Amino acid sequence: MSGLRANLRVVGALGMRSVRQTFRRPQLIAPIVIFPTLLLAIQTGGAGSAVELPGFPPVDSFLQFMLAGAMMQSLMLAGNSGGIALAVDIEMGFTDRLFAAPISRFTIVLGRLVGTAALGLFAALWFLAIGLVFGAPVEGGVPGALVAILLTTIGAMSIGGIGSAIALRTGQASIVQGLFPLVFVVLFLSTAFFPEQLMVEPARSIAAYNPLSFVVEGIREPIVEGVDAGDTLAALAAVAAISAFSLLLSARALRHRLRTGG
Amino acid sequence: MNRRNLATIAAIVDRSKNELIRVPGAAIPGVLAPTIFFLGLNGVFGNLTQLTGFGSDSYASFLVPVSVLQGAGFTGAATGVNLARDIEGGWLDRLLVSPAPRWVLLTGMVVAASLRAFIPATAVLLVAFAVGAHWPGLDGLLLTYAMVAATAAVAACYAISLALRYKTQSAAPLMQAGMLALILMTTAYAPLRLLEGWLQDVAEVNPMTPVVDAVRQGFLGTIGWTDTWHGVVALLGMLTVMAVLSLRGMRRITA
Amino acid sequence: MAAIAVEGLERAFGDVRAVQGVDLRVGEGEIYGFLGPNGAGKTTTVRMLTTLLLPTGGRAEVAGHDVVREARAVRATIGVALQEAALDPLMTGRELIRLQATLQGIPKAEGRRRADSLLERVDLAGAADRRVGGYSGGMKRRLDLAAALVHEPRVLFLDEPTTGLDPVSRRTIWDEVRALNDEGTTVFLTTQYLEEADQLADNVGIIDSGRIVAEGTPDSLKAEVGNPHIRLQLEEGSAAAAEEVCARIGPLLPPVDGKTVLVEVENGAADIPRVVRALDEAGIGVGSLELVKPTLDDVFVAKTGYHLAQDGEGAGDQAEAVSA
Repeated sequence: MSGLRANLRVVGALGMRSVRQTFRRPQLIAPIVIFPTLLLAIQTGGAGSAVELPGFPPVDSFLQFMLAGAMMQSLMLAGNSGGIALAVDIEMGFTDRLFAAPISRFTIVLGRLVGTAALGLFAALWFLAIGLVFGAPVEGGVPGALVAILLTTIGAMSIGGIGSAIALRTGQASIVQGLFPLVFVVLFLSTAFFPEQLMVEPARSIAAYNPLSFVVEGIREPIVEGVDAGDTLAALAAVAAISAFSLLLSARALRHRLRTGG
Repeated sequence: MNRRNLATIAAIVDRSKNELIRVPGAAIPGVLAPTIFFLGLNGVFGNLTQLTGFGSDSYASFLVPVSVLQGAGFTGAATGVNLARDIEGGWLDRLLVSPAPRWVLLTGMVVAASLRAFIPATAVLLVAFAVGAHWPGLDGLLLTYAMVAATAAVAACYAISLALRYKTQSAAPLMQAGMLALILMTTAYAPLRLLEGWLQDVAEVNPMTPVVDAVRQGFLGTIGWTDTWHGVVALLGMLTVMAVLSLRGMRRITA
Repeated sequence: MAAIAVEGLERAFGDVRAVQGVDLRVGEGEIYGFLGPNGAGKTTTVRMLTTLLLPTGGRAEVAGHDVVREARAVRATIGVALQEAALDPLMTGRELIRLQATLQGIPKAEGRRRADSLLERVDLAGAADRRVGGYSGGMKRRLDLAAALVHEPRVLFLDEPTTGLDPVSRRTIWDEVRALNDEGTTVFLTTQYLEEADQLADNVGIIDSGRIVAEGTPDSLKAEVGNPHIRLQLEEGSAAAAEEVCARIGPLLPPVDGKTVLVEVENGAADIPRVVRALDEAGIGVGSLELVKPTLDDVFVAKTGYHLAQDGEGAGDQAEAVSA
């Protein structure tokens, strides 16, 4: 038990460092929150008439529909950002200091993910606040808001795991940064920005099976209608699947780095 | 414009190609971003054409002008980021300490951006035609490339003025976001009458809106003089303002 | 006409006065060494003289042109190699010099010819078509120097040209500077290395905290702070007797230990035979004898109260050890 407690302490300490690093540099937070906010404003203003399309789900406004997409975008950017931060640590040699310490190696990754989770939490609160201010309240009330916040937070961690895996494998921040366009590819091929039934093929078919669509719907449902157990469980399952995948990738990348030093 | 100045402009343009040719994969992000956005937005919002009053049956045709201009905007912003890097590394000092006039140095950077913008524009056009966008005709194509070059010049002047002001690559998000907002807060997603109230108001006064509409003509129908010259005047106006700002920045960098 | 004439030059950054009223004159064909520690104002002064920074007070002329009102004319006559070698890692050495030639308005064919010739001169012909990103530090400095020379400038500004270089590369740069000066180029050289100023400069200006604290030839500056002295290492028990003998030749300096005698000699090395003869006649055995000359660091200490020399540079370089 003392081993677990010790590891938790390390995760907490590294997590605090990661959170401090993130929030002490506003120029790093801005793209994760400001950019999706800008896109949210533009897409809501530009494609807002879409609510008049036959078959569009019943919502108060296009903004209410789009909030989940913006949160999804933010959490993915947060995950990418966490990966970049870990890669910078590797380039600077900071991770060598951690590897040389008598701590579980995996706490290094988990500590980084705590920072990513904090960013995800911040993003969720930010967009829910925007919704409140601009007339798109959470239909599911406090429980609905909590579900949306939870899914955004753990969703950020699961994506962050992929970013960390790439950072550990390559050790180069520029490579992790180069994945930035992929975030948008994956988002466009999900239901982040439009209902699946109104998307154009082949994006529509891909979105139907994209695990991120389940996460988006899990965040969206409490906002536009109310908490739905089915959607929430499906989202949690998707997050769990992505997390399992990213954990596996991270573990292999970590083993590779420790074995070869690079 | 004498021979010396022309030679200097040509040399600066020539140097700018190194980034594309000598850094493996350097051209990819600039091409990928507008292409991904085009395909993504087309796949997501493609059925907006079903809205009453949309005026077109092809969202790809409606959207492609925005994406090519977006590519021009990214290319121009990248020029500013590269200049900021050159300032940080001391390279700009080499240019400033030469007897070449400041406007010549600026023209070289801007011309380089305008030419580079043809690359993402061509990539987007090829992809757009592949997914069914209408052929704009030769006149429409020429108009598109001319507007792309001019938009890249506007973006380059804007980004250069920021680079000279802040002297750091950290200003990159400001350069990119500024151009993104300018181009998307237009009739980018839908015709003016279908935009939400606040965006409609912004698009009506945004000088980039007539540029988008001018490029869009050939893809949706025929090219008319009115829409064309509105776009040309808007671009010339923006270019004048941005060129003045960036030239002032060049002259004040020693202050 | 002075190649460089500076009167009351000032530069403030907000409340920070980086350069506070610098006056100096550099004659045509001179090598002027601008010596001072980090943060003294050397680079700021150079940037003003090369039109990269506007002064906030005073005036300066380079090659007869005012650096503010006739900036373009100044740029046409100067060559500049700055502290951060302003090179593009993606270009080859040859491309860089050709670009510099174009910036200077040299016609294409002539620019190519000069580029080839300069690359030979700085011993980079073999690496000319390799990317600058792969050059060593010394190669980059040599390339930077070559680029500064492509238009055969009247005045050459070198801002810490050998900082960070190994001794061999440093000497190569020194040889090149001397050769350029022999051809008539005026050189304004900033450095934090005493030996560099001592070896190269006809005149030295020492700057500290934005002001010139001393100016003159290296020898005249050193003479200001005193005469050289001879350091004698003696056999056990003979220090007192040796002091008595040496006191008749020149003033004694405070001893460092019981076996060393320090005697000031007005005529430097010329006084060594006198000292040796006098000690010999008195039957006093000498282990070793050194002539120790004042250094520019001694000048700096006299003017500012602290040392400029780092890492043993300075006095040790000036000692000429002689074993008796």
